[in-house]
Amino acid sequence: MEKAIEVKNFVKEYGNFRAVNNISFEVNEGEIFGLIGPNGAGKTTTLRVISTLLQIASGSVKIFNRDVIKESASVRKLISYLPEEAGVYKNLSGKSYLDFIAGFYSTDRKGKTIMIEKGIEIAQLGKRINDKASSYSKGMARRLLVARALMVEPKLAILDEPTVGLDVVNSQEIRKIIKDFAKKGTTILLSSHNMLEVELLCDRIALINEGVIIEIGTSQELKNKYNTSNIEKVFLEAIK
Amino acid sequence: MKHFYNLLKKEVKELLTREVIASMVFMIVFFVFMGKIIKGTKEEAKEINISILDLDSTQYLQNVLNMVSRQGIEINPIEAEDVEDAIKEAKEKNATVLLVIPSGFGAKMQEMEKAEIELYSIMKGLSIKETISSEIIKSVIRALNNSIATSFIQKAIPGKDPADILSPIHTKNFVILKERTIPGTPGVLSILITSQSIMIPLILVMVIMYTGMMIMTSMGLEKESKTLETLLSLPVRRSHIIAGKMAGSAVVGFMMTVVYMGGVRYYMSPMMESPEISIQLEEFGLSMTPLGYVLLGISIFLAILAALSVCIILGVFAQDTKSAQTMTYPIMLVAFIPFFLSMFKDIETLPLALKIIVYAIPFSHPMIASKSLIFHDYPTVLWGIGYMIIFTVITMWIAVRIFKTDKVLTAKFPIKWKRH
Ligand SMILES: Nc1ncnc2c1ncn2[C@@H]1O[C@H](COP(=O)(O)OP(=O)(O)OP(=O)(O)O)[C@@H](O)[C@H]1O
Ligand SMILES: [Mg+2]
Repeated sequence: MEKAIEVKNFVKEYGNFRAVNNISFEVNEGEIFGLIGPNGAGKTTTLRVISTLLQIASGSVKIFNRDVIKESASVRKLISYLPEEAGVYKNLSGKSYLDFIAGFYSTDRKGKTIMIEKGIEIAQLGKRINDKASSYSKGMARRLLVARALMVEPKLAILDEPTVGLDVVNSQEIRKIIKDFAKKGTTILLSSHNMLEVELLCDRIALINEGVIIEIGTSQELKNKYNTSNIEKVFLEAIK
Repeated sequence: MKHFYNLLKKEVKELLTREVIASMVFMIVFFVFMGKIIKGTKEEAKEINISILDLDSTQYLQNVLNMVSRQGIEINPIEAEDVEDAIKEAKEKNATVLLVIPSGFGAKMQEMEKAEIELYSIMKGLSIKETISSEIIKSVIRALNNSIATSFIQKAIPGKDPADILSPIHTKNFVILKERTIPGTPGVLSILITSQSIMIPLILVMVIMYTGMMIMTSMGLEKESKTLETLLSLPVRRSHIIAGKMAGSAVVGFMMTVVYMGGVRYYMSPMMESPEISIQLEEFGLSMTPLGYVLLGISIFLAILAALSVCIILGVFAQDTKSAQTMTYPIMLVAFIPFFLSMFKDIETLPLALKIIVYAIPFSHPMIASKSLIFHDYPTVLWGIGYMIIFTVITMWIAVRIFKTDKVLTAKFPIKWKRH
């Protein structure tokens, strides 16, 4: 089967600081793959590289067999990226924001309408979808952004801490939506600090620390290896 | 093209905030209001009320006055014992001026002797309106003198045209400008020069200021609200993102300029109306041809593009809207250099070093063009256009390059960084 993501020995440096040091991993199509690790470990950096936003010093990163650097334009057609600190255009309503994004993915009017409807459904903002985004709460804006990332039905969705800032009910709702998308064949790459979420959601997990992947496997495999009952303990043990 | 339009729409929506619209509306209201006041003052000032205390039994001057007086001048004879009384009455009648004609004035005129009158200007305050009135009174006196002098001459030297005697020298005026000899005085040219060397550069500086500010705001907003990263991960060409930003800022910047310049024109229009002069200039071939207007338009358009492409590069280094707007000031200053120089000097007459600087600044070229086109000097204009095209293409190419790297996202980070 074609690999959704193939990362080989990739190194990312900011100036002379090495943020990601020689990591390799693969993600299968249709999989939900989670990156976990302490703050500053290099998760966001990795996701940004996979999203074609950053240059790399060495190694290669391929999305469905396309190089993120050399074929960035065609990679961008396959992916949808939710940055960790993404914001919304303040003077646009939620709906016009979805409309704006849909304009880049859909080829015809009908497809666009369906896409926007899908987005509205995921965002669940009710009437507020017509309000200016500057009036949204943090969680509302996050939901809009998740909706925007998923409504375009990308082959690969890259979600940097998708549920950060959301309450329990909303987090659960978003997790369910992510799962549904994966079932329909979308590959998901996400990062999170919520161990419960990672355990519930991800098929496989990579543990990253100081720019290096130290563990990779299903949550069951990792728990067995460290002989603990939950991922949180695995995390704490592994980074010791 | 579809993507470009989508981006353009977003840019315009994002830039046209309620505050921006409100400030434009305010500007319109402000200028209309100011224009009304100024117009009102001028019209009011034209209404002149002359009270006359005529102590001369022949009423010679009053008759002449009635002859020369025109619309808007009201003449009220006052019956009073002395000047003091007359002043009191004139004040009551709201007169602008009190004219006291002494007794025996008519008799002196009969003898063609000079005579005195007294003129009391009654000021109600120190405003423009009062000074305008005094100008009008002066002209009334001039008309009186002229009329009386003419009648004197007719009496003394019959059979001659009094006008010839009053001003025996007739001048025919010519202005030599570059290779052209133009009938007229330099004064006639001054209006044209004002409009070409001040108005057009001023408009240009305004447009550059507003559009530059808009594109910087747009970049600042993307960084501030953290939308740039998302935008760059979308399947859209970098050049479209840049073009969308440039076009969107140009649209909003133009709107602001139109509002502002429209306002200024409305506000100034009562002060500068003179259709005859422009007709005269056309006769001398000293005006812009349709081709000239087209070239000027192209030239201005390119200068704006040049400014926008420089601004978008600067915008990469902006952190938020505030810092972005501060970064437009250097551009504005650079635009002001040719503006001031062309206002006071002809670029041609500048020392070489300064000349090179001025030519290197892309914004100079429309300003130079606006003058060159009056003389139908097309090569200069075309050189300028060529230079601006090259300048813009290079800066836009650099901008696209930068957008293709991760500089656009990481440029905000300080370089000093330590591994913990
Ligand atoms: N633009 C940048 N310039 C310099 N250093 C950077 C830049 N972006 C990130 N870094 C550094 O790279 C390292 C990895 O950062 P990254 O954002 O990938 O961490 P992370 O795993 O996402 O952390 P968190 O869990 O806090 O989001 C950190 O030490 C960070 O300080
Ligand atoms: Mg992160």
